[in-house]
Amino acid sequence: MAQTTLQPPPEARPARSLPLRAGRPRRRRRRNWFAYGLIAPALAFMVLVHLIPTAGGVVLSFKRLNTFTFARLFDAPWAGLENYRGILFDTANPLHSGFFGAVQNTAVYTFWTVGGTLAGGLAIALLLNRPMRGQRLVRTLMLAPWIVPSFVVAVLWQFMWQSDVGIINKVLVDYTHLLSERPIWLLGENSMWAIVIPSIWRGLPFAMIFFLAGLQAMPPELHEAAAIDGAGPLRRFRYITLPLLRPLIAVQLLFCVIYATYQFAIPYIMLGSNPGPDADLMMTLIVRQSFSNNLFGFGAAASVLLTLAMCVWVAVWYRAFKRDLEVK
Amino acid sequence: MNARLVNRGLDALTWLVLLVMLSPILWLVAASLQTDGQLSRGAYNLLEPTFTAFSRMWQTVDFERYLLNSLIICTAAALCATAFASCAGYALARFKFRGATGLSLGVVGTQLIPGSLFLLPVFMGFVWLKQNTPVALFDTHLGMILVYTAFFTPVAIYFMRYFFAAIPRDLEEAAMVDGCTRFGAFVKIVLPAAAPGLVATFVYAFLFAWDELLFVAALTQENAETIPIGIRNFIGNYQERTAQLMAAGVVSTLPVLIAFFATQRWLVKGITAGAVKG
Repeated sequence: MAQTTLQPPPEARPARSLPLRAGRPRRRRRRNWFAYGLIAPALAFMVLVHLIPTAGGVVLSFKRLNTFTFARLFDAPWAGLENYRGILFDTANPLHSGFFGAVQNTAVYTFWTVGGTLAGGLAIALLLNRPMRGQRLVRTLMLAPWIVPSFVVAVLWQFMWQSDVGIINKVLVDYTHLLSERPIWLLGENSMWAIVIPSIWRGLPFAMIFFLAGLQAMPPELHEAAAIDGAGPLRRFRYITLPLLRPLIAVQLLFCVIYATYQFAIPYIMLGSNPGPDADLMMTLIVRQSFSNNLFGFGAAASVLLTLAMCVWVAVWYRAFKRDLEVK
Repeated sequence: MNARLVNRGLDALTWLVLLVMLSPILWLVAASLQTDGQLSRGAYNLLEPTFTAFSRMWQTVDFERYLLNSLIICTAAALCATAFASCAGYALARFKFRGATGLSLGVVGTQLIPGSLFLLPVFMGFVWLKQNTPVALFDTHLGMILVYTAFFTPVAIYFMRYFFAAIPRDLEEAAMVDGCTRFGAFVKIVLPAAAPGLVATFVYAFLFAWDELLFVAALTQENAETIPIGIRNFIGNYQERTAQLMAAGVVSTLPVLIAFFATQRWLVKGITAGAVKG
């Protein structure tokens, strides 16, 4: 589930033909065969594990696949649009309310996680972009949370969130007296924050190095000129830094939203296979219904709807940031 | 005068932010050096660390097996992904061919599909193969390596394309003038020149494979389970042994932490490739 860093290639210019013996069509075709040979293994794997199974997943979403029919695997009986109807329109179906609850939770989770990650990442990148003693050390150490595996993040924070003995309540209640009562973090309304905050904590360093690289690539003359003209730091940030960072923000936004929407490990490990109505996300719902309750048809249909939602997001994103992408 | 004060303040703020960001990790280490009883009572004694949790965790769950499986599967998958991606990345960086744009879009497109959509068919395919053919992919190292290779190849392609584009063409052209074949020039000249990129790509794929939970949870039963499953079993059965759980967290973070800091400079270059090109 690695998806945060895809960029357009750094060199989009067409390949220059080699000076020797190049130019004739026959030669060119041989070069093409060489290129096809090079991409063949990667392509084969992507077709085998991504393309064909995805098509299979779409097919399964139209099948009645549950405990009784699972033994028949791909020969399970057709269900037409039944799975989709059950999810979207059948108000008597418990899966219906579960699905819309998870949609809402996923939207809330994604909004806060992405917002927190990008805002925090940018803020820290601005801090680290200043010359200071120990700069390299600070920049390197700041990346550490991103290296901690998600499942470790989940067990660590689960322990930290414990109501009675967890360090967070100890700090908030016993040491600083900021709160008079011990909040319960892992159940009920707070459980959403219990997964959002660690997700931000882990994702933030990644956004940070990205923005930091962008800040370092910025020509300093612009800021100097604006400073001479009397623009304060806030105005320079608003009118120089932010517009120049827009393409970077766009790319980060695209992949952060996808990554957050497909988050699974943190809620699943921290809150269990059923995180409860306040923190059940799309992925935990789909996996639980599919693999614990054997409702594979439901899982496939819900996954298809999730994919469509992401396609809509990409389309919206593209319209919003089209101009920024063309600049490059 | 005022500006100097502000600067000092921002320096202090930077260190404070760093401390806050690192504190959960420090707490993980500190908690792993306590005993289970101390943690469950909340009676920490940070001044008297003990390594008992680290020695006991291996008996509580079969962590050695999980660790070994993770190392085998992630290393093999990251190697394969890097190998395939360096070929495909080279093709995309150097040649103009029909379908190149389609391939680039497809590479991004794979990231758009939720794992749950193609997990089910992969799962059913593995089960079907197990029932009907001698091909053993369900709950085997080979099956997981296959799946992870495919997972991390797309991102690796982007990494490698960036690193190849940074290598001057003259190198290969000179080699080919000297009688190298095109493939020979790629293997003998370009690949060594891209060694830092290869390492960065490998580590990146390794980090993500190490973190993967969804597929390994569905596609393994007992033979090929990796560390995330070990951690899940730990929580499921021995939740009260918190210090050991924290110790297991430390042990599962160490390999990736070492790999990351050893290759950090190149890795950051690959990650920020798109940011600096502007």
